Amino acid sequence: MTPPRGEVLQGTLDLIVLKTLEAMGPLHGYGIAQRIQQVSEDLLKLNQGTLYPALLRLEQRGWISSKWGVSDNNRKAKYYSLTRAGLKQLATEAESWERMAAVIARLLAGAQGA
Amino acid sequence: MLALRVLASRLLSLFRKGRVEQDLDAEVRSHLQLLTEENIRRGLSPEEASRAARREFGGVEQTKESYRDQRGLPFFDALLQDLRFALRTLAKQPGFAVVAILTLALGIGATTAVFSVVDRILFRSLPYPNDDRLVSFGLLAPIERDEFMLGAGYVDFRKQPGPFEAITSMVPGTTDCDVTEQQPVRLNCGLVEQTFLPTLGVQPILGRNFTPEEDRPKAPKVALLSYGLWKSRFGGDPGVLSKTISLGNDTTQIVGVLPANFEMPTLRSADILLPQALDEEQQRRSAPGAVLRTFARLKPGITISQAVAALQPWFEQAVLGAPPQFRKEIHLSVRTLRDRQVRDVRLASWILLGSVFAVLLVACTNVANLLLSRATGRERELAVRAALGASRARLARQALTESVLLGLLGGVLGCGVALALMHLFVSVAPEGIPHLQQAGLDLRVAAFTFGVALISAVLFGVAPALHRPAPEMLTGKQAPLGTRRVLRQILVSAQIAMSLVLLTGAGLLLRSLWNLQNVPTGLEAERVLTETVSLGAYRYPTPAQQFTFFTELEGRLKSLPGVTSVAMSDTLPPAGAMRSTIFAAIEVAGRPPLAEGTGGMVGWRAVTPDYFSALTIPIIQGRGFRQEDRLPSENPIILSETLARALLPNENPIGKQLRLFRMEGPWRTVVGVAADVKNNGLAANSDPEFYLPWKNEHVIFLGSANMILRTRINSSAVSTWMREQTTALDPTLPVKIETMSERVSKLADRPRFNAVLLSMFAGMGVLLAAIGMYGVVGFLVAQRTREIGVRMALGATPPGILRMVLSDVARWTIAGAASGLIGAWFCARLLESLLFEVRAHDPLLLALALLLLLVAAFLAAWIPARRAMRVDPIVALRYE
Repeated sequence: MTPPRGEVLQGTLDLIVLKTLEAMGPLHGYGIAQRIQQVSEDLLKLNQGTLYPALLRLEQRGWISSKWGVSDNNRKAKYYSLTRAGLKQLATEAESWERMAAVIARLLAGAQGA
Repeated sequence: MLALRVLASRLLSLFRKGRVEQDLDAEVRSHLQLLTEENIRRGLSPEEASRAARREFGGVEQTKESYRDQRGLPFFDALLQDLRFALRTLAKQPGFAVVAILTLALGIGATTAVFSVVDRILFRSLPYPNDDRLVSFGLLAPIERDEFMLGAGYVDFRKQPGPFEAITSMVPGTTDCDVTEQQPVRLNCGLVEQTFLPTLGVQPILGRNFTPEEDRPKAPKVALLSYGLWKSRFGGDPGVLSKTISLGNDTTQIVGVLPANFEMPTLRSADILLPQALDEEQQRRSAPGAVLRTFARLKPGITISQAVAALQPWFEQAVLGAPPQFRKEIHLSVRTLRDRQVRDVRLASWILLGSVFAVLLVACTNVANLLLSRATGRERELAVRAALGASRARLARQALTESVLLGLLGGVLGCGVALALMHLFVSVAPEGIPHLQQAGLDLRVAAFTFGVALISAVLFGVAPALHRPAPEMLTGKQAPLGTRRVLRQILVSAQIAMSLVLLTGAGLLLRSLWNLQNVPTGLEAERVLTETVSLGAYRYPTPAQQFTFFTELEGRLKSLPGVTSVAMSDTLPPAGAMRSTIFAAIEVAGRPPLAEGTGGMVGWRAVTPDYFSALTIPIIQGRGFRQEDRLPSENPIILSETLARALLPNENPIGKQLRLFRMEGPWRTVVGVAADVKNNGLAANSDPEFYLPWKNEHVIFLGSANMILRTRINSSAVSTWMREQTTALDPTLPVKIETMSERVSKLADRPRFNAVLLSMFAGMGVLLAAIGMYGVVGFLVAQRTREIGVRMALGATPPGILRMVLSDVARWTIAGAASGLIGAWFCARLLESLLFEVRAHDPLLLALALLLLLVAAFLAAWIPARRAMRVDPIVALRYE
């Protein structure tokens, strides 16, 4: 379970997936991958396969649930959707991410000032 | 909570492997198709689109693999896989598996058996709540090796029990009591104070404890039944509380039943508990009063030494009440109940436990050696697996799984070995080892076995598991022997060292047993039969009736054919059971009595005239007793040689007048001096001794007696006749007939038990060490076949090769023996108090043990070493 070389860290991938599902509603793995690349404007290099262990991990924790369905172009696909617990988790993770980002930003600014 | 949820989901997926695997497959496939379609839409050709899709997706198999790791329990999966692999490997080499498992079973089994015996002595808590706060306390005097208090002092002390939360007392030992209704039997009754059960923290499982009112003199009689008696006599009837039991002349109301695991703090077996009904007034009047065993529960947080300090003022007061000769020899003592119970068994228990652990270590070493030599054979396989990407941790884990599997298999088989050994222990064990009968394979012992199996698995498995396969092994060449060879030699040296320590210990115990069995007892035990008869107080209430019974029995036994002499005595040498008094209580006519100190103990017996001839004890001065001495008017006395010398130094003792027991009773005339006889057991120093004629005199206890018969013919025939004669007189009497030799031999039972066990362990140790040596030398010779071939081709002679191999063996044997000697030197000192007339550092014994071990080691090395001599250089050079 090594993350693809430093590109997407494990913790952030969880946050990204949760946020994507919140924004887009139920989505299959392929859809999630597409959405991430679209939003990040291809800045994030994601090996799409690594998404699946992450999805399973989130499901095991009860943050997302999955159901087989049919995609727009009539293909069988597994759809993932955010659970209530997942929504709560997204809030906490987002908050802690923002706090961390703020700290880092302040640190970097401080370093520049000195 | 979250972790639990994840675990549950992972566990669940283990059982639906097929379903979820299909799911994963379908999901990945659909993803790839979607990607491909998207790429086609962007204008790529179908082949290119599919290739690009795969690129974007990343490795499909890697994804699935890491998905599976996330899904199931990778640890568990790997464990199952390792276990399967380990089983396959073991099955492929059944010889190796059998030897390793048997070795382990032997080691683990012996350890388990010893643990089950010593656990109750050393570790397991006694069957009382908070047993660590229970103590035996009181006075110790030369006559008494257990704590006691005297009635007059106790009735005051119990009002102010000082450092104790609760105290209680009981009459020492147990009393015979006869059930006198239908099915009469003789039972052991314990007489205890009303506070007895509450102090111990024991609740009757049925009914209630005695009330304070019932514990008074002349109160209505009540009894508590032991669980065993309740089951056997009353069939476990819960209505027993409304029943009575006739004990002697009293009809006794049953008020309760004791729990099944109840035991007396003195470890005596008691069928019934009765109130001791101490009469306070009478105790004070007859000060110092009766001897009582006293037990107490310490207040929480009070240590033994604090309790001793708190009792000191009371003790100083109490000692003033003792006769002046005694004062100096009375001590205050507070001991935990466990200490009182295990006494001298503690040291022997630790020694047995220590030595069996040594055997286990030797066994583990052997298996480690086996694993190491097998690992050499698998070096190439391991190197290949390492090259294919198995991490070192993964390889180590697999090796450890195999060790644990071996350990557990050994443990399971070891349980069988343990059961057999426990049987053996119980059958050879002497009396007086606490709780031995209860030793068995219960959950606690099984848990211990499991723990031992796991620990041994780690012990023998860790060295092979940590080994790193060398990459050059991939070429298929022989491994450089390097560190592994050194390790194996160290292991063999360690085995030799441990075996030497065991051998020395066993040698010391055997030697001391031999000394003990050859102690001159002062009597001739061959062809002497003894019969112990104890009369119940119910059927024979007066000394006159008892006297009549025994005189009649003596007469009947005299008429038996093949019997040369028949004697009677109240007690028998050489065991410690005899009446005793203090030296200072003997008064010699015309001399002032001794004032200070007790002068030590003096034993005495009441005997019939034939006693000395039946046991062949020489009369060295004067005469023995005659039939006339049994008349009430006669008061003769016979002294032992030591007593005569101590009482009347440089005087002719014959005809001197003595008064015994602190000036009570008549003056007695010394008529003879008998040779000394062992009278305190085999190992202890004998006390001086005197003899009185056995007759109906108030100082002589007639309730039980020993008949002593010297026979000309086969003793088993005579013993049948003896039994017949006794039953003819009174069929209800329990009769115990033993040869004198059996009685003497029994005294060495405990040292014999220790010696037998330790010798067995030493034997196992040496055998295992020899097997280890055999294996290592064989392995080294096989590894060096090519080198030996080259040497031979270059002109080395076979004896030269043998010398070369054996000198190698000698080096590490000597290293092991040297460290073993140092270990033996220290361990022998622990044994010191168990030894009898052997010095712990007996040089001859050490040399013998060393010699035995060296011979065993060289024999074990010789067989494989000779194979080196027969190496054919041509074959050896073609070896690869």
